[in-house]
Amino acid sequence: MDGWMGRMLEVDLEKGSFRERELDPELLTRWLGGRGLGVKLLYDRALGVEPLHPSNPLIFAVGPLTGTPVPTAGRFSLVSRSPLTGTVFDCNSGGRWGVGLKRCGLDVLLVTGRSPEPVYLEVSEAGARLHPADDLWGRTVSEVMTRLGAAHPGAGVAAIGPAGENGCLLASIMNDGSRALGRGGLGAVMGSKNLKAVVVQGRSRVSVSRPGKLSFVLGESRRWIKGNPVTAVGLPRFGTAVLVNLMNELGVFPSNNFQHSRFPGAESISGEVLEERHLEKRRACWGCPIGCGRVTRAGGLRGEGPEYETLWSLGAQCGVDDLEKVVLANYLCNDLGLDTISAGSVIGCCMELSERGLVEGGPRFGDADAVLGLLEDMALGRGLGRELARGSRRFAEARGAVEYAMQVKGLELPAYDPRGLQGQGLSFATSNRGGCHLRAYLVGPEVLGIPKMVDRKSTTDKPGLTIFAQNLNAGVDSLVLCRFLQFALSDEYFARMLEAVTGIPYKAMDLHRIGERIWNLERLYNLRCGMDPAEDTLPPRLLREPVAEGPAAGRVVLLREMLPLYYRARGWDERGIPDPRKLAALGLPE
Amino acid sequence: MLEQFSFFGRELFLQGVNSSHSGNMSVRVGDRIFITRRGSMLSHLREGDLVETGMHDDDCHITLASTEIKIHRAIYRETSALAVVHAHPPCAIALSLLEDEIHPVDTEGIYYFKAVPVVGADLTVGSDEVAEKLPPLLQNYKIVMVRGHGSFAVGQMLEEAFQWTSSLEASCRALLFYRLLSPQARREGESRW
Repeated sequence: MDGWMGRMLEVDLEKGSFRERELDPELLTRWLGGRGLGVKLLYDRALGVEPLHPSNPLIFAVGPLTGTPVPTAGRFSLVSRSPLTGTVFDCNSGGRWGVGLKRCGLDVLLVTGRSPEPVYLEVSEAGARLHPADDLWGRTVSEVMTRLGAAHPGAGVAAIGPAGENGCLLASIMNDGSRALGRGGLGAVMGSKNLKAVVVQGRSRVSVSRPGKLSFVLGESRRWIKGNPVTAVGLPRFGTAVLVNLMNELGVFPSNNFQHSRFPGAESISGEVLEERHLEKRRACWGCPIGCGRVTRAGGLRGEGPEYETLWSLGAQCGVDDLEKVVLANYLCNDLGLDTISAGSVIGCCMELSERGLVEGGPRFGDADAVLGLLEDMALGRGLGRELARGSRRFAEARGAVEYAMQVKGLELPAYDPRGLQGQGLSFATSNRGGCHLRAYLVGPEVLGIPKMVDRKSTTDKPGLTIFAQNLNAGVDSLVLCRFLQFALSDEYFARMLEAVTGIPYKAMDLHRIGERIWNLERLYNLRCGMDPAEDTLPPRLLREPVAEGPAAGRVVLLREMLPLYYRARGWDERGIPDPRKLAALGLPE
Repeated sequence: MLEQFSFFGRELFLQGVNSSHSGNMSVRVGDRIFITRRGSMLSHLREGDLVETGMHDDDCHITLASTEIKIHRAIYRETSALAVVHAHPPCAIALSLLEDEIHPVDTEGIYYFKAVPVVGADLTVGSDEVAEKLPPLLQNYKIVMVRGHGSFAVGQMLEEAFQWTSSLEASCRALLFYRLLSPQARREGESRW
């Protein structure tokens, strides 16, 4: 098949066995790859399996466009059940690891079992091998990257740090040095399998059905990318940090655990200041013309980041306005293998509980050194850090104050105060993987005016917009492309690229339809794993405590207005359960 | 300042030289530019639809600014203009597809413009090519057409740039009517085209 390699490699770490399978072409055309294919395989093979049980698979998947000249087509997805949220979970990451996997002639790498000893997995076109990793266990991500980079020159390396090894539920998996499969604690799943790293290297070519047509579409796409101020100037020049000042001005930049919707120190941790003081150079993922990655220097160290979310979580969320410390905290997270969003957020939660007298001797807002210390403690499972490593919901619950955990379904909320962004609020509440901004990413229409500016305070148009974006993004995550490409390109372009690569006449609506199928299957997975639909909500603070000052003053998220319409428009009943007719229409099991 | 932008934005729409969400305007204040937000409705500008950014340097607001910010900056860099109005006047656009220079036939048009240059570009929106070609022309002309796309007019204030935009469209409308009504002129025009 053009676009797909048509093969999957299954690895059982317990037995040390490998099995290669042909993938059913219908499975690929209906689920595309990445997130969609991964969710389908997870549902079929491991429905209800506990996240840290050896049978819970790690499903690495690329898409039909991966490795082609399509912009940002170097990405890959990882799907599993999250130990942090208990929900189906997918992350995707840039870099070049995904291209490496595809060039091994694979669409999917599925890893199950628990190795008796620490190992790392090497995959190539010739097959796969497990190598002992005793000497890598306990090492930081950068040490592992250096060693495995030397042992396998030119290969892609995805690895966990101490956080993943120690079962920290906020553990990430890092690849290509500083790219992260950040959220949901999938690093802990990898650690529970005694799998330190996965190395990929291959040379297989990806066949394209209609190279001439693809070349034409790509020519047009590049012009749009080059002509759009977000993809041509904002992101390349400042990285995602470009959002700090904007969000703060709009009064949707939360600080001190969402107690405020603006941060007085925002300017000092902004993209402009980051560029001025710390930026060494830009960095782009494989095949990306945007280049939002930052190589920075701070405190005598050199590393990547921070992203907007990280500037917020390790900065404003903890009341910290010392940019150098925030950059260093980012480096530390990357090295320990910690999700920066959740790590900073849980510390912010702890700071509020400390100030409320619920954590004795705990950290206070603004204490940057405490942040650095707690990050290490979380990853290494020490002291207060051991409690924080379980995520903010469990941490605050144990202190009898779950309402101060700023999370949805157990996943810490990112850097947008939804009281000033009603659509973002609905999308947080209904996200299948918990408090995630990227499922619908209504920052486009609500903040940046892409494709059109909508009234961020309005609720009437948001259920439809949220569903549209959730479906489309599920489709794009299955291709697997970067979310930022959508600032410049519409769904038509993605469909034209897909058609040119595969030779199958996909239209834009097909992408939405596939996305809707994926969204509903994720929903089914969660419900059948025992998730209560009542979890489609937000922390009480965002529903009941109006913003005190600024452009969003007096507002709360009007979820009660939006959620019933969202359910109805999804074809779900009033409790949020998919209607059998909707499932049948999507070709899903009842 | 928003009030001024709103007034002329609404006038541009009412005169039919912009559709609901098209066109953009800016003014230069020292090293800062105030420009309409990308995709904003010029006829109903609201708070947040006016974006302030650097004349030379980008800042975070660049992500919100009109896609044509590059052209506006290039014009400010190379001309003495303090205001730029970009519109999509339909009659002028139609003529721009056929001519390299538009020569008005009405008295006011002849008095104001004499000739309006038309430049072509491979990519007409937010492109380097347009940013390169337009400013030298705007050193000598009040208004220039980008073929098939629209007009860029300059002035010391928004009203002035607005006036050239409005006048050009009126002159082009008169020119089109003239050609429609006069077979002789049409024939001459055809041979010229």
